[in-house]
Amino acid sequence: MKQTLTQSMAWLHTWGGLLFGWLLFAIFLTGSLAVFDQEIDHWMQPEIKQTSVSSAQAVEHAVAYLQRQHADASAWNISLPSERMPALRVTAGDRRSGISTYLDPLTGEPLVVRDTAGGTFFFRFHYSLSMPRNPGIWIVGLAAMAMLVALISGIIIHKKFFKEFFTFRPNKGQRSWLDAHNASAVLLLPFHLMITYTGLLIFALIYMPAALDSLYNGNFAAFYQEHIDVPEEHHAVQTSQAPLTDLAPLLAQAEARMGPLSGVVIEHPGRSDAHIEMRRVLGNRIALTKGHNMVFDGVTGELLAGPPELRPTVLVQRVMFGLHFAQFGGYPMRWLYFVCGLLSSAMIATGLVLFTVKRRRKYASESALGQQLYRLVESLNVATVAGLAVACIGLLWLNRLLPVELAQRAGWELRGFFAIWLLSLLHAWLRPRLQAWREQLSLAALLCLGLPLLSVFSDGQAWGDSMRLWLEVTVVALGLLLVWSVWRLRQPQVQRSERRERSVQAQVN
Amino acid sequence: MMTAFLGSLLLAYSSMLALCQGLERHYKQVWGRAPTRLQRRVLRGSGWLLLAASLWGCAQAWGWAMGPVGWFGMLSLSGFALALLLPYAPRLAVYAPVLGLPCWLLLYALAG
Repeated sequence: MKQTLTQSMAWLHTWGGLLFGWLLFAIFLTGSLAVFDQEIDHWMQPEIKQTSVSSAQAVEHAVAYLQRQHADASAWNISLPSERMPALRVTAGDRRSGISTYLDPLTGEPLVVRDTAGGTFFFRFHYSLSMPRNPGIWIVGLAAMAMLVALISGIIIHKKFFKEFFTFRPNKGQRSWLDAHNASAVLLLPFHLMITYTGLLIFALIYMPAALDSLYNGNFAAFYQEHIDVPEEHHAVQTSQAPLTDLAPLLAQAEARMGPLSGVVIEHPGRSDAHIEMRRVLGNRIALTKGHNMVFDGVTGELLAGPPELRPTVLVQRVMFGLHFAQFGGYPMRWLYFVCGLLSSAMIATGLVLFTVKRRRKYASESALGQQLYRLVESLNVATVAGLAVACIGLLWLNRLLPVELAQRAGWELRGFFAIWLLSLLHAWLRPRLQAWREQLSLAALLCLGLPLLSVFSDGQAWGDSMRLWLEVTVVALGLLLVWSVWRLRQPQVQRSERRERSVQAQVN
Repeated sequence: MMTAFLGSLLLAYSSMLALCQGLERHYKQVWGRAPTRLQRRVLRGSGWLLLAASLWGCAQAWGWAMGPVGWFGMLSLSGFALALLLPYAPRLAVYAPVLGLPCWLLLYALAG
């Protein structure tokens, strides 16, 4: 039988959407949380206090500490306190593998800070599912491709795109689910398309390496070098001891040129070939400016390389990245991205629920195997949507409940996170459908509403830190939303019985 | 920046509201009768004008590069909020900008 375009697109949208929907929901929800990764990081490190010190003062303390403790290190990295992250962190050696210490920005004394997965975990999960880097990136890329397919097939099969632009009809069962799915998809379509497309572009060179392979023999560094004027590595033949130049004037110069700074990297400190790199905070412009910094001579203080001018092609690429990473536009923009991301997740969730709502009547007539498969779909829906919510808020609880001195604490937080998620699947499989939804959503709501209390009792300080307070207020607001959804879950049965009564009355009349 | 941001959010919601009320179905939903042809024209016209005004407001908050990005986000969110609000509290959905305007003016006066 020949199918129309709409029919085949509907088939593609239904099954592609279902198979990738679970994964996509997890990617979108953790991505939305990752918008506030540093804020969550800060909440998860209650040992660090909010302070306001100038970057010059912070750098002075950091350099003094590094000179005292790590005078012979090959490099020093200083992460400066910022509006979003009040921590001052110094690393001796490589930025990723070196030894990191947190310092009190006011006194320069080292702080003991708990080992935690942090908000950074949501970010890592968002792009690699916490798997080894490349397989994770490939799976997420596949899901993003499926998302793009679902969006476009969804546009094609939507019959009343403009006619039902503002339409939402609650309390009508399947109709309401479809309305909610359509409204969240259509009204946020610019966001869905932008975030999916730019997300795919970030790792485009991994997904489509042909150009890089044929033009640069697969050498990414060579490609990068040619497109951005990265300052050449100066290797002085002979190096000798030489004192480090005063950093304060360099900081002022860099801040005047690039705006707020995120950190300072000092290569070969205390030697004649020392280099100082001033790194800027991302977000002075849309384009992601990672790595586009100013480099100074570490002895004379002379400017060696300024922030590079981007070629138009690179600029386009960087703007695409920047649109996805949402580092620009300050907190108002961050909030827009966060809420849009949550609604994207909700759009995916309503799609998943719609799949089962549509077919629920047919279940009974299916074979035993078919019935089991539908039950599996229902359980997976509960575990992905409600279960992940429990696991995410559970991670924040684990951060406070696990003993501070536990070895490999961050690892245990993550094990806890995945254990909760797995348990939610088991629970969803064992309990009847509606109870499973209600119980898991209630648990998530309870954990959200209880978070401020947990934080008061575990930190022993009553909401003194405005950033942590904001996070807790937001979590409580999300908790209230969950309470509302639990309350709504009781409605359909009431509605149905009312309708039955009404139809009985109609028959009598 | 905060006043410009909230101001353009108010404009974005008002523009979506005006465009929405310019449709017969949603006008009926709130007022229980069909709009006259003139009302429909005025609502739609002011909807488009407010839409442009909110873009201008976003440019004031973020500049012309980031402004349009934030503008799309605002339109989406206020349109969605409106769609959810209409069936539950139609009058509130319509009067929200009327309540929002004095709040914003107060903020504007305080922020200077």
